[in-house]
Amino acid sequence: MEETGATAAPAEPAAGPMLQLENVCKRFGDLEVLRGVSVDVNRGEVVCVIGPSGSGKSTLLRCVNLLEPPEEGRILLEGKEITGKEAVEGINFVRRRVGMVFQQFNLFPHKSALENVCIAQEKVLDRSGAEARQKAEALLARVGMADKIGEYPDRLSGGQQQRVAIARALAMDPRVMLFDEVTSALDPELVKEVLDVMRELVDEGMTMIVVTHEMGFAREVARRVVFMDEGLVVEEGPPAEVLGNPQQERTKRFLGLVLEH
Amino acid sequence: MDFIREYYFDFSLMGDNFGAVLDGFWVTIKLSVISGVLALSWGLVLAVLRQLPGKPLAPVRWLTIGYIDVFRGIPLLLVLFLVSGFLSAAQAEDVIPETIGLPTWFGETSPFWYGVISLTLTYGAYMAEVYRAGIEAVPGGQTEAARSLGMSHGQAMRYIIVPQAVRKVVPPLLNDFIALMKDTSLVSVIGALEVVQAGFDIQTAEFNGSGLVLGALFFLAVTIPLARVVDWLISREQAKTQRGGPKPPAGEAKPAGPPATGMAGA
Ligand SMILES: Nc1ncnc2c1ncn2[C@@H]1O[C@H](COP(=O)(O)OP(=O)(O)OP(=O)(O)O)[C@@H](O)[C@H]1O
Ligand SMILES: [Mg+2]
Repeated sequence: MEETGATAAPAEPAAGPMLQLENVCKRFGDLEVLRGVSVDVNRGEVVCVIGPSGSGKSTLLRCVNLLEPPEEGRILLEGKEITGKEAVEGINFVRRRVGMVFQQFNLFPHKSALENVCIAQEKVLDRSGAEARQKAEALLARVGMADKIGEYPDRLSGGQQQRVAIARALAMDPRVMLFDEVTSALDPELVKEVLDVMRELVDEGMTMIVVTHEMGFAREVARRVVFMDEGLVVEEGPPAEVLGNPQQERTKRFLGLVLEH
Repeated sequence: MDFIREYYFDFSLMGDNFGAVLDGFWVTIKLSVISGVLALSWGLVLAVLRQLPGKPLAPVRWLTIGYIDVFRGIPLLLVLFLVSGFLSAAQAEDVIPETIGLPTWFGETSPFWYGVISLTLTYGAYMAEVYRAGIEAVPGGQTEAARSLGMSHGQAMRYIIVPQAVRKVVPPLLNDFIALMKDTSLVSVIGALEVVQAGFDIQTAEFNGSGLVLGALFFLAVTIPLARVVDWLISREQAKTQRGGPKPPAGEAKPAGPPATGMAGA
């Protein structure tokens, strides 16, 4: 695997942000989960999102790939509006460009590691079985799972499952990857193997939004850190500023709590 | 005491009528298998229709729910009378062609096919509910993962959700099949010569129930092994969930034990 999907994709206009969120709002009944979130993500940029539980981080990611359509505000992907009535591009445009990895892995338990990585390639991208398999083998090798290709998820450790899940998302040649606390369900000794795979993606220039509690990781790889609380962006900037020298009271309190343990 | 033994266990009478009862049981088996396969398919169709997404398809969902409620809520015997009465009357009035109104497909009698239709309509509704439970038991993360990979609702159902749901509900479906098999006896009321009718004819002619007991033995020869298969499948499933965690198991998992409680995480 010499090239990632991101670099192999046909030439796109290089200018302009990959992803623009403008005043995104999302409600569940009476509960306002996102209350006007605006974030831009440039090509090849890694943005880490931190914040307390329930602040709307997962919901934000789910809005970006339209698992939860936002009620207000706009989201632009590669400059094209994907939300609301003015949407110029549909759900397929979005899902073919945006890959997502979940906290609970969500591998398909009735399929082997290889089949997990192949199924959507064949059914969604109409790739031939051989083509899908070749791509899947290369990706599984890249995440260090070459010798577990035929295993079913219940025989893999959490870290292994999560690496397969990353390979599964990459197989669709996404241009943006969303990571939702992908190491939170892992035993501590398995966290590093997953973060290492993500570091490699960063080095290859993948555009990424990473929701994480791993402050060390955020400090190391993020171009920008976004701190969210109660459905709002409280503070954002380079990791050295937001994590090293936060200006807002709420950020300070949150970081104080996180660093205590 | 002797009379009881004579009445139920007259082995020479059983021997004399073995062929007639076996012929009846063969009809029972055909009724069960054909209706069972059709009900399994029809039930799955209903379950999927019931899960269709979006506002515009709400009428389809309501119709499906209405159908399921109705056919789960009325006796099979009533359905049998309504189906056989309607079809034979409609073809008598030339509303439908005779091949449909008085079907004799594959050399089986019209009552046989009325039975197949009624059993499928009724048990399809039962099985739809079983499938639904299975579909709802698949974690929501599975749909999300499938959708995030670009699959449509239909693709997610077909390749991801339904295969997992079906695995979970094989035991309850088999239980429904056992119930269906016993209910085939009701088709005798509209004239099918299945095993219960065959046994009853002997009882009427000979004033002796041994033919019916023989029929019961035929039933048990099928239903008891099926029940054991159901038990085995359930205990195997339990062993699997108890094994739980993502760690690879050492060899085969131990069966049964106490039900899985307080499993970490999951
Ligand atoms: N589908 C839903 N229906 C109703 N409420 C929801 C739904 N999804 C999320 N919520 C609520 O929205 C709020 C924000 O949830 P979200 O998962 O986005 O938070 P989070 O920042 O990701 O938290 P965590 O760190 O615990 O993952 C929570 O109060 C949650 O209960
Ligand atoms: Mg979350």
